Amino acid sequence: MDFELTEDQATIRKAVAELAGKFSDEYWLEKDEAHEFPAEFYDAFAQGGWLGITTPEEYGGHGFGITEASILLEEVSAAGGGMNAASSMHLSIFGMHPVIVHGSEELKRRTLPRIVSGDLHVCFGVTEPGAGLDTTKITTFARRDGDHYVVNGRKVWISKAKESEKVLLLTRTTKFEDAKKKTDGLTLFLTDLDRDHVDIRPIRKMGRNAVTSNELFIDNLRVPVEDRVGEEGQGFKYILDGLNPERMLVAAEALGLGRAALKKAVRYGNEREVFGRPIGMNQGLQFPLADSLARLDAAELALRKATWLYDNGKPCGREANTAKYLCADAGFQAADRALQTHGGMGYSEEYHVARYFREARLLRIAPLSQEMVLNYLGSHVLGLPRSY
Amino acid sequence: MRWTLTEDQELFRDSFRGWLERFAPVEKVRSWLDSGDPGEFEQRFAEEGWFGIGTAEELGGQGGGLVELALAAEQLGRSAAPSSVWLASVLAAPLLSRSPEIAAKSLAEGEFAVLALDASRPLDVEPGAGETTRYVLGGDRARRFVVPDGDGVRVAEASDVDITPRKLLDRSRSVADVSLVARSTVDLSPVASRAAVLVAADSLGAAERMLELAVEYSKQRHQFGVPIGSFQAVKHAAAQILVDVEAARSLVYYAAASVEQGHEECALHAAAAKAQVCAAAERAADAALTLHGAIGYTWEHDLQLFYKRAKLNNRLFGSPAVWNERLAAALPLVPAA
Repeated sequence: MDFELTEDQATIRKAVAELAGKFSDEYWLEKDEAHEFPAEFYDAFAQGGWLGITTPEEYGGHGFGITEASILLEEVSAAGGGMNAASSMHLSIFGMHPVIVHGSEELKRRTLPRIVSGDLHVCFGVTEPGAGLDTTKITTFARRDGDHYVVNGRKVWISKAKESEKVLLLTRTTKFEDAKKKTDGLTLFLTDLDRDHVDIRPIRKMGRNAVTSNELFIDNLRVPVEDRVGEEGQGFKYILDGLNPERMLVAAEALGLGRAALKKAVRYGNEREVFGRPIGMNQGLQFPLADSLARLDAAELALRKATWLYDNGKPCGREANTAKYLCADAGFQAADRALQTHGGMGYSEEYHVARYFREARLLRIAPLSQEMVLNYLGSHVLGLPRSY
Repeated sequence: MRWTLTEDQELFRDSFRGWLERFAPVEKVRSWLDSGDPGEFEQRFAEEGWFGIGTAEELGGQGGGLVELALAAEQLGRSAAPSSVWLASVLAAPLLSRSPEIAAKSLAEGEFAVLALDASRPLDVEPGAGETTRYVLGGDRARRFVVPDGDGVRVAEASDVDITPRKLLDRSRSVADVSLVARSTVDLSPVASRAAVLVAADSLGAAERMLELAVEYSKQRHQFGVPIGSFQAVKHAAAQILVDVEAARSLVYYAAASVEQGHEECALHAAAAKAQVCAAAERAADAALTLHGAIGYTWEHDLQLFYKRAKLNNRLFGSPAVWNERLAAALPLVPAA
């Protein structure tokens, strides 16, 4: 067993922390309050070549694994940008995995280099109001019409759609009731979000306000056949490949956020004096922070193991889910305790922990709820009867 | 709403507590537990008239109701007194309206008549197949068994029954398997509710006592040159027990009054008391043990008596999960698939 980061990984960690560190807490506070995409931040990472960290070299990327990608997103989040920072680039980092594995050479040449350079913003269009996590129940339908498909339907909780030029769009090309297997008949596209045919409405929400979450109303969107990823009807399988890495990356973001919150709490605990001594001297405050450190460290180990398994081509469903579960809980708990440590000031925006708290709460819900992780572990790992 | 104990109830509680302090101090309790024979305590308990309080006069009691019984159970819990046969007898008495003389002998003369029902579950759960009832509370101490039968009850002499005592980790209570099975159409839910309230009251008393022990110890024990009670982590843990104890007290007395008065939701009040208070007392036991450190883990320290008491109470007459199920069933939730 070896717990050392490789030289590359250590370099990545240091370089990302440095670059992300150039964006101050106030930068993120302002972007969040103004509901404004952190374009300067995104551009800095694009220029540094970071968006292509996992993209194969032939398409302009670096071809690193999920371990490196998770270190990148963890540091981006930990530097204080939290989920606003991570979500601005999350999809560019690994979301195109189904395209890389299953897309046509032409599609890849046309899109991947632009994603790496930062020029092409993309979002992920899977979830729908009527389906939730029951993905095979989506109803957005793509009807073949000559060398095009015509798409109609609704999507919800599509992060960054407002800012995106293209969407990785999951549709049905065979209705659920006509499909032989429920996982058949889904088709994936990487196509333009043509504003004349897609109405994008940001959802008002609790936090992570620098990056939108949107509802999409798709009305006769014409999609050229060339924008189809892989074969018709195989989309569900393509999406499935990306779910474990997705969980690991979100875990890394949660972990980074927890670290950011803990750092703020420790600083405040040392600086703030009440009753003639630093408040961090109170066991009632010190112990919860120490406990959070232990939990974040443990969650980090689970995450590192999960990404190592994935990068070594081993099964990692159990570990990816566990990492997401533990990191999300540890991250939220750290944010909650950081807020508590700050007392009344924690409730003000000025000290940043309120923002972390709102963002950390999201990670117990997205990309799948903690309860769904337990469903997975209960039925797929422990072998108990499926409970849902 | 203003709800307090009456003067009589307070007087009863205080004098019963005083009696227990005199006749059942912890050294005596330990000697009864070590010998496995609490007979001395039980006889005195009955002969001095305490058994009858909380049971109607027409059943050979001295009047009062479930609130008085709950006050008594609380005091017995805080003394870790061997009270199985008291609890079993007062639960059986209301079923003896057709044989009041048996109730009277049980409550006043120490010829204990106990319910032939499985005490590991709520008392209104139907018995399974087989000819034996397991875990009959006080089954090894009984002169007679009260067996719900048909649409009433029958009484069986202990001498006519096979009785197999079982050892419990909590030596302050006892159970036995008996060769009787209660098959009846009698509605036992009131008995189940009364049992739930009384075991919750017992847990309340045990939790109170554990809090006292923990606070006392935390002032006495020094580490790093200061009493450990000066550490916030210790103070906060003790404060949390106090919060649980006070919440438990409100719940227990309210549930006792509700069941006594036959409030339309009294079964839910009893279920809430059983589930919440017994679980809280178990948490208190674990916290108190932590506050004591290794000394709390020893045989010579009294904490173990109450710790085990609280642990058994959690299971006695059904676990919090079982009672929470009853509460869940009463809520407008989607039924389980």
